[in-house]
Amino acid sequence: MYFIGKDMDQFIQQKEYVDTAIVPLLEVDLSTEGVKRSASASEYLQSLTALLEKQFKGRILLLPPISYAKKADRERIAEEMNQELQEAEFKHVFYLTTDAAWRTIDSLENVLWLPAIPIENMDQRFRNSVMEDQLRQVLPLFTKEWTKPS
Amino acid sequence: MSNNRVSRRQFLGYTLTGVGGFMAAGMLMPMIRFAVDPILQENTAGDFVLTDQAVADLSEEPVRVDFAYEQVDAWYTSEVTSSAWVYKEGDKIIALSPVCKHLGCTVNWAADPEHPSQFFCPCHAGRYEKNGQNVPGTPPLGPLDEFTVEERDGFLAIGAVKANSLI
Repeated sequence: MYFIGKDMDQFIQQKEYVDTAIVPLLEVDLSTEGVKRSASASEYLQSLTALLEKQFKGRILLLPPISYAKKADRERIAEEMNQELQEAEFKHVFYLTTDAAWRTIDSLENVLWLPAIPIENMDQRFRNSVMEDQLRQVLPLFTKEWTKPS
Repeated sequence: MSNNRVSRRQFLGYTLTGVGGFMAAGMLMPMIRFAVDPILQENTAGDFVLTDQAVADLSEEPVRVDFAYEQVDAWYTSEVTSSAWVYKEGDKIIALSPVCKHLGCTVNWAADPEHPSQFFCPCHAGRYEKNGQNVPGTPPLGPLDEFTVEERDGFLAIGAVKANSLI
């Protein structure tokens, strides 16, 4: 489900079924040399998470991307977000990012780091097949987490 | 020269009636046209999207067929990609919607190794028979929806969603 008013009605009613949250983490770099790469990564991350939402609509809540500056204190973001999600009683939380800095932060579980693919110049058809491939790599991580005995 | 001469009064009367008639017609015509417009409207419910799936390649095993169409949300047009599970039963082509009737996840054919000839929803282990019938005891409460299909020059065209007609 998306984090939109219409889906929230259903979310509140079916809370027992929607037990997984996806949080995209997005670094915003507005410097002249980095802005293109950053925007492209954002496009990639958002189309991937939208595909995930389509596949698992009934079990996941896709939160809007958390955007932060290059020099943001990632530890603090992680801690605050984690706390909020724990209070909301999500059983599983996935963080998706293309920002390599998250790989060194241990306080978050289930951070899926993906290298961004620049998809902006691909034609629609090729782009779809590339994104489908990416999705296929991520899907097993979700099903594995769900079937893991807790 | 004919005998019944047209008087000035009569001539003016005819002329005014004629001109008035034209003006009234000019106003009424569009009104009538608007009133009957819904009847003249072409039926757009039969909007089919052509896919690149050849009908001859279909078998009894469901395959996923992707198709894209344009969706207009107010002023914003976006291309929506959707898919269907298509198989043949005898000569009849059947296309089922992949949207789970539980909470809207995407179902897959034979995704669960324990039930290789059923549709499986990975979210909450919902299952459907090949004809879309939901398996009792799993979360879904209704059968999968069906698409209207058409064959166009050997290729499959997918139309509107309708309730499952196989059950």
